[in-house]
Amino acid sequence: MEQLLVPMICKVDKVIQETPDVRTYRLKFREEGMLEKFIYFPGQFVEFSLLGSGECTFCIASSATRKGYFDCSIKKAGVVTADIHQSLEEGDEVGIRGPFGNWFPLEDLKGKNLLFVGGGIGLAPLRSLIQYCIDNRNDYKDFTILYGARTSADMCYKDEIKEWQDNKSLKIVLTIDRPEETWTSNVGVVPKILEEVVKPVIENTKVITCGPPIMIKYTIQSLLKLGFADKDIITTLEMKMQCGLGKCGRCNIGSTYVCKDGPVFTNEQLKSLPDEF
Amino acid sequence: MNVETFVTDKAGLNKFYEAIMAGHETYAPVEKFGKFDFNRVSRIGECNPESPISKTQSIKPLFFPRSAKVMKYVATSAGTEVSEVDEDPLAGKRVILGAKHCDARALQVLDKVYNWDYIDTDYQKRRENTIIISTRCDKADTHCFCTSLDYDVENLDALDVLVVNGADGKIYLQSRTEKGAEFLQTDVTRHASRVTKEIAAPDLKKQYDSFSGTFRLKMDYKEVNAKLSRIFDTPEFENVSGNCVSCNTCAFVCPTCHCFKISDEKVKDTGVRYKSYDSCNNGYFTLMAGGHNPRPVKYRRWRQRAMHKFVYYKERFGENLCVGCGKCTIACPVNISIFEVVNQVAIGQ
Repeated sequence: MEQLLVPMICKVDKVIQETPDVRTYRLKFREEGMLEKFIYFPGQFVEFSLLGSGECTFCIASSATRKGYFDCSIKKAGVVTADIHQSLEEGDEVGIRGPFGNWFPLEDLKGKNLLFVGGGIGLAPLRSLIQYCIDNRNDYKDFTILYGARTSADMCYKDEIKEWQDNKSLKIVLTIDRPEETWTSNVGVVPKILEEVVKPVIENTKVITCGPPIMIKYTIQSLLKLGFADKDIITTLEMKMQCGLGKCGRCNIGSTYVCKDGPVFTNEQLKSLPDEF
Repeated sequence: MNVETFVTDKAGLNKFYEAIMAGHETYAPVEKFGKFDFNRVSRIGECNPESPISKTQSIKPLFFPRSAKVMKYVATSAGTEVSEVDEDPLAGKRVILGAKHCDARALQVLDKVYNWDYIDTDYQKRRENTIIISTRCDKADTHCFCTSLDYDVENLDALDVLVVNGADGKIYLQSRTEKGAEFLQTDVTRHASRVTKEIAAPDLKKQYDSFSGTFRLKMDYKEVNAKLSRIFDTPEFENVSGNCVSCNTCAFVCPTCHCFKISDEKVKDTGVRYKSYDSCNNGYFTLMAGGHNPRPVKYRRWRQRAMHKFVYYKERFGENLCVGCGKCTIACPVNISIFEVVNQVAIGQ
C-alpha cells in the first residue's frame, strides 16, 4: 500500500487565474516518458499533493487529446486549496497520484446529441469531456453547452468559452444568477435557462451535468420534467477521498466506492444508492 | 491439504514455544498494566500465549500498523526529492503465538479488501511471512459472539497451527494450512512426536460443543444482514448512538476496521508522509473543503459503522466486517455494544 501512496512529481507549467477563487494549474511530469504512461480518460481524477500541506482530490480538467500536459482547476475552498492558491506558482513542483476512478461512457455517447450542463467550477470535469468530444467532433451529433455561474467574473475558462462560441458546430448558452450592466446574455439559474432557453431535444440525447450539489439536484429535476430518462443523465460526484484506491474507507455511498465505481454515475445508478451524498 | 499432527505434553509445549522463539522473530501477548499487547519476545517467561480474551489486544497492528511512513521528501526551491522510507519492520518471516482465532479470522476478512484491485503488497507480504499459532478458547467472554457469525469457529482454520489440549492429557499440535504443515516439519517440533492419525474427532467436537455452550450472546447474522439492508432511514440509529462520545477507540481496537488517513508532517524543507488509523466516527472523516459533509451528525456516522460491518462489506466482499470478538464493546467508555446496536436496529431487541 505504502508504495501506491507515493506520488509522481510534476512541474507547474502555467498558472491561469480563472476567477477570483479558481486557478487552473497546467502540469507536466518532471521525468521524461511519464506522461506517456499516464493514460487517462475524461472524468477521471488525481490525488494532488502540495508537499507539506497535504493531498487533495481533483478531477483532470483537460483531455488527453491535448498532448503534452494536463490541467487541474482548483477552487479555493479549504486548508490545502488555500495553501495552493497562496504558494503554488509556475515552476514549482507538486505530487500527483493517479489517474483514478471510472470515466464518462465514451462509447455510449457516440452518435448521440450531447448536452453539457455545468455550473461554476463544475465545468472542470465537463471540460475534459468537451475537449475530447470537440477533438472527435464527427462522432457526435448536436453539441450544446449550457454553463452558469453566480456572476460573470465567476465564469471559468473564459478564453476557451470564446473559442467554443466561435466554433460554428457548437451551441453555447451562458447564464449568470443576477443581472449585470455589461452582461448581454441570459440571466437566471441553470435549471430555469435549461427549460426556457435551451429547450433540448430529448430524442437520442445524452446529458452530462456537473456543478454545485444544489444545482445538480434541480437540474436533474428539470431534465426529468422535460422527459429525459434516468439512464441518459450522467453526472460526476464529489466525495471526500484520500487513497483513491478503494481502501481508506471514506468515499463510499452504501457499498459503492465513489473512487473505484465512480465518480461518474448515471442518474439511474444514483437512484439505487442510499441518500447519503 | 496435507495435515501434520504432533503430540507432546505441557513441558514439550513450552519447549516448542522456546524453540520458536530461539529460531524465529516471535510475537506473543505481553502484559503491561493488566492488558496484553503483541510484542516481540525471546523467552516464554516474558509472555503468556494463553492470555485472557478480554484483556488481549488484536494482532491487527502487526499487519496494519497504527501509523506507517509512506515516504520522506525534501522540497526546496531547487526541486522536490522523494525518497523511500526505511525497510518495512513487519515484512520479515515471523511467528505469532497466542492470537485468538477471531483475531486471525479478521485477517481473512481484511484480505478481501486489500487484495481487491489495487493490491496492498506490504500487507500481503506481512501475511505470507507470518505463521499464526494458537489454542482454542475454552470459554466465551462476556462480549464474545464469534459462533454467531459467518465463519467456521469449530475447525479454527484461520490459524496456521492449532494447539489442542487433548482429553487424554496430552497436547496436540495440528496444522490448519499448508504453511502451518511446513512449519511443523521443521526442527521446532523436535521435542514432540509426529503422529500419523488425526486427533480423535469426537474430542475436537466435544471441545467445540462445550465451548459454544458458554456463549451469552447469540444472533442470526443472516437475519441481521437482511433486515439492516432494508432500513437505511430509521430513528433507531439515533437511539443506539446517543451516548457515543466519538472517541474512535472502537475502530482502533477492532481487528477488521481498516480506514486510514494520509497526513504530512513537514519541518522547514523536510517532510514525512504518514498513513495512520482513522475512523468513520470522526466528525471530519467525510468533511469536504467548502463545508459539505454527507455524514454531518453522529447517528449517520454510526449508521455507516454498523452498515459497513453488516451490509456493505457483505454485499461487496461476501463477508461480515465483524468477527464477534467483543473488543470494541470492552474498550468503549460508554458501553456501546456493536452486538446490541445491530440487534436493536435490525430486529428491535
